[in-house]
Amino acid sequence: MSTSEAPAAATVIPIDDAARQHGKAPAVATAPPPPAAAAAATAPRKTGLPFFRRADRGSRCVALVDLVLRVAAFGPTLAAAIATGTSDETLSVFTQFFQFRARFDDFPALLFFMVANAIAAGYLVLSLPFSAAVVLRPQAIGLRHLLLVCDTIIVAMLTAAAAAAAAIVDLAHSGNVRANWVPICMQFHGFCQRTSGAVVASFLAVLVFVFLIILAAFAIRKR
Amino acid sequence: MKGTSEHGETSKAPLSRGVSKGLSVLDLILRFIAIVGTLASAIAMGTTNETLPFFTQFIRFKAQYSDLPTLTFFVITNSIVCAYLILSLPLSIVHIIRSRAKFSRLLLIFLDAAMLALVTAGASAAAAIVYLAHKGNVKANWLAICQQFDSFCERISGSLIGSFGAMVILILMILLSAIALARR
Repeated sequence: MSTSEAPAAATVIPIDDAARQHGKAPAVATAPPPPAAAAAATAPRKTGLPFFRRADRGSRCVALVDLVLRVAAFGPTLAAAIATGTSDETLSVFTQFFQFRARFDDFPALLFFMVANAIAAGYLVLSLPFSAAVVLRPQAIGLRHLLLVCDTIIVAMLTAAAAAAAAIVDLAHSGNVRANWVPICMQFHGFCQRTSGAVVASFLAVLVFVFLIILAAFAIRKR
Repeated sequence: MKGTSEHGETSKAPLSRGVSKGLSVLDLILRFIAIVGTLASAIAMGTTNETLPFFTQFIRFKAQYSDLPTLTFFVITNSIVCAYLILSLPLSIVHIIRSRAKFSRLLLIFLDAAMLALVTAGASAAAAIVYLAHKGNVKANWLAICQQFDSFCERISGSLIGSFGAMVILILMILLSAIALARR
């Protein structure tokens, strides 16, 4: 809508020459005021960006924060997926009873954790263009709803994976006397540190996702 | 044309109000089901107590939910979510009566999202431990305790169902509240 006013300012008809040549004073007199008004209107607005329209400013800010939060959540999920996926520790001692190699796929919960974080990181990358579209066009309520639904599903999956991995990592740290489960972190230091860090990063990402959901609900309410 | 547009508007207003009331009633019903689910899970897990009739000097033969800290966390989170759902019933009833309450719907979505995170964390951590109790882990030398404790294992496995059902219901409630918010 703002771009249509710029070409109208170009058609400025000089009143004196047209009045003398064609004699159509009233028809010509109506022609200059709209271009003059358009020229006056476009003169103070230096840029043609629609960002500065006051009615849209609040929801555009919210959509911009949404975009930034998505980029912020991408880092921890990707880091958690990579850290878990490359966790592989082999001790230099061996006996005939104990396995002295720890990898993430020895524990199904850690495997699910890595897959869920990878899916969440991929989803965040894929949802960035949709979020950018919401910034450019704040009245797209269907897009906002779609992002809210997908965010809720992903946060449920990510929380489940992070909690399951946290349970297994806590068991690896402290063991369980009653069930006769030995704490394996006594031997596998690096493996334990890596998976613990990955769980913490994943919980941070869950927190950012919950902010995203609340922000999306808030933005839908404003509309 | 003016008459038909007026007729269209007046026939649309009670329909949209009816749909909003229907959404609020559905929210209330789902809340009741989630209360039942979380309460059943908490009670089923909290009353686990199995003692085997024989004993040796190395292994204890009594299994309770408090032996595993994750299952204690599960009972606590389910109790918290159940208490929250019971306390949020009046708010849900208010939404049926007054469909225009925007700020309270937003508050409800916020608290529902927090409770969703909590119940998902408790349920999935307990699921990881229950899976470990069933299958054990050869690489970490962790024995499957379900070989001895049959009824304990059955009960802790069954109590997960109510909690996961409540999680799905909470997701549905968040989406319903978002739809109801957008229909202003």
